[in-house]
Amino acid sequence: MGMNRREFVRATALVGAGIAGATALVVKDRATASKTRDPVGPKTIRSLTVLNNVPKQENEDLLIRMQRELVKAMSKPVEQRKWVMVIDTRKCVGCHACTIGCVAENKLPPGVVYRPVVTEEFGEFPNVQLRFTPRPCMQCEQPPCVPVCPVSATWRRPDGITVIDYDKCIGCRYCLTACPYGARTSDFGAYYTDNAARNNSNNADHAIAGPHAAWEDQPNFEYAKNWDRSGHQSPMGNARKCHFCLHRLEVGELPTCVTTCIGRATYFGDHNDPDSLVSGLIAKNNCQTLLPHKGTKPRVFYIV
Amino acid sequence: MSMTNSTRPFSILYDEHKVPSWVWWGVWLVLMVLGTWGVLQRVIHGHLPAGYGSYVPWGLWVAIYFHCVGIAGGTMLVGAGGFVLDLPGFRSRRLLRMTIVLSAASIACGLMGVWFDLGHMLRAYTIYTHATFTSMMAFNSWMYTAFCITAGIAFFLSYRRNRSDWLKPLLCLAILFAILFPSQSGAFFGVVDAKPFWNSALLPVMFLISAITAGSALLLVIRETLRPTDDPDTPDEHDAALRTLRIVVVSGLIAYFVSEFAELSIAYWNPTVHAPAVELILFGPYWWVFWIIHLLIGGLIPLIFLSTQSRGLWVVAGFLVAVTFISTRLNVLVPGQAVGEIRGLQEAFHDDRLKYVYHATLMEYLVGFFIVAIGMMLFWIGQRINGRLTHRAETSG
Repeated sequence: MGMNRREFVRATALVGAGIAGATALVVKDRATASKTRDPVGPKTIRSLTVLNNVPKQENEDLLIRMQRELVKAMSKPVEQRKWVMVIDTRKCVGCHACTIGCVAENKLPPGVVYRPVVTEEFGEFPNVQLRFTPRPCMQCEQPPCVPVCPVSATWRRPDGITVIDYDKCIGCRYCLTACPYGARTSDFGAYYTDNAARNNSNNADHAIAGPHAAWEDQPNFEYAKNWDRSGHQSPMGNARKCHFCLHRLEVGELPTCVTTCIGRATYFGDHNDPDSLVSGLIAKNNCQTLLPHKGTKPRVFYIV
Repeated sequence: MSMTNSTRPFSILYDEHKVPSWVWWGVWLVLMVLGTWGVLQRVIHGHLPAGYGSYVPWGLWVAIYFHCVGIAGGTMLVGAGGFVLDLPGFRSRRLLRMTIVLSAASIACGLMGVWFDLGHMLRAYTIYTHATFTSMMAFNSWMYTAFCITAGIAFFLSYRRNRSDWLKPLLCLAILFAILFPSQSGAFFGVVDAKPFWNSALLPVMFLISAITAGSALLLVIRETLRPTDDPDTPDEHDAALRTLRIVVVSGLIAYFVSEFAELSIAYWNPTVHAPAVELILFGPYWWVFWIIHLLIGGLIPLIFLSTQSRGLWVVAGFLVAVTFISTRLNVLVPGQAVGEIRGLQEAFHDDRLKYVYHATLMEYLVGFFIVAIGMMLFWIGQRINGRLTHRAETSG
């Protein structure tokens, strides 16, 4: 060993301090990981007037019922809400209306999708079966995408929805790899009309005069903010995911995928409300989650 | 070239008899010109010309990142370790500084690789202002910083003989970091439970072994081809250093292949979840990366060359190992991502970015060239500074 005693003592002290420091950093953040940084308590109560003028009726449409339950849930502090989604795969016809509704609502660019519908075919003709599985973000109770974010740009809200701060996300895409459901996609900056014909003359009949169609520059309103992608601004370059249409919930509207479902196969509500539609559905024994062995405890349930 | 130290005080410390300088400059110029074109494409068109997508989010640049930080850790571990242990051929402070420069240049290359990969490059600094250490990415970033600071202090301390009691302790700390961040690069993948192929406790060990192997191989190449005209080592010491590095490379190659066999055999004979990723490595579209680049060019040929007594062949072997060991990263990175957990997801919504396949594009390769050119430039600048400060220290007594 080419060190004298003094050097050895100093080396031991430095290495020990290095190990202790590194351990302390990790343990500190692990210990505080579950603490919420969102506002909670009475100030988060929403007093919504939606459906105030629509009298309650027996056997009313499920959408109306779920919206009433939504308004009721919003009248509680945020930490007392527990949003869940239930998808009845027996009713889903694979129309993809939810997928397209979501794309339109959130103005998703090419390559970004929040709610694809997975189609699986079983058996051989004539004994063939199709199964459709819409796959939104599972809003896991133990979201694997959250702890891997190096800059705390994604976290789980008190109501259980995992959100992304587009202004903080650095676009490293670690969270994309961590999600076993493939529920996160990255906005790489593409436009639908990137390769469309351009207007090189003054002919006003051409729809596209700039680098892409003007309608693609319209902002979206995720997280109740005005997001303008032009000039490589967020959410371009960010990870993106389904957020149960949080911006709609805040004003008493159901998620778009729920309202666009033509077969009434998607249900949404507050699991903390024992009288809600979703609480009743989840209690049945034909309700299950995707990849339960991953231990993520999804909040999206499938009726099979 | 027979100039003495007194006539070439600011020499870059290469022996021009080994490799003429115009070769280095020629290679650098080609890499820089091509690389600049790639970087322009990256700046103008963003991520659009790249081949990765949302289901395979990381590609060549992330592999370069992990390969370079591995080399940085490996060179420091072996070079500084040899200095601390007082091994023949590793005792010279000047050569220690060369190791530090090589390590720092390599880590800069790695960080540049991951920087080009970010969706928001200008927000990279937030990993320091808003770090979460539950993320292996943040942990590693801080580790690189601590490593660079420690190695930087050791670099400048090595010129001051009267305060050298701190040099070896600081190098021990740098060695700790040099063990931590390459192995934690393996943990970076290992913690991702979503990818069964990555979720292995063996990955950190394999990453550390490959880091030491590739780092030693590069150190062997550099020490032999860029040997100073005024080398402070005697020929015997230089020879001893090369032999030590050769033994480390051979041992590293054998240890890596044994670990890799253990990893792949368990996965391959497991009939369920792991097999698709291993099938991709062995028989998928990138079969040649494993069989030809990794096993043949990066393993078998170097082992044969290193078994001879020809130093020239050792250098070739070292070069092959240092370059082709990037395949060890790619063979973990891409197959792990290319197998989805949800069957049919790729077909559920069609887009080029929503596929479980990845092919690096020309732009990605060109940016890779740029990163290598910058690394060469940083090493050259570092060696110029080293030469200048060494000369100043020697002339001031």
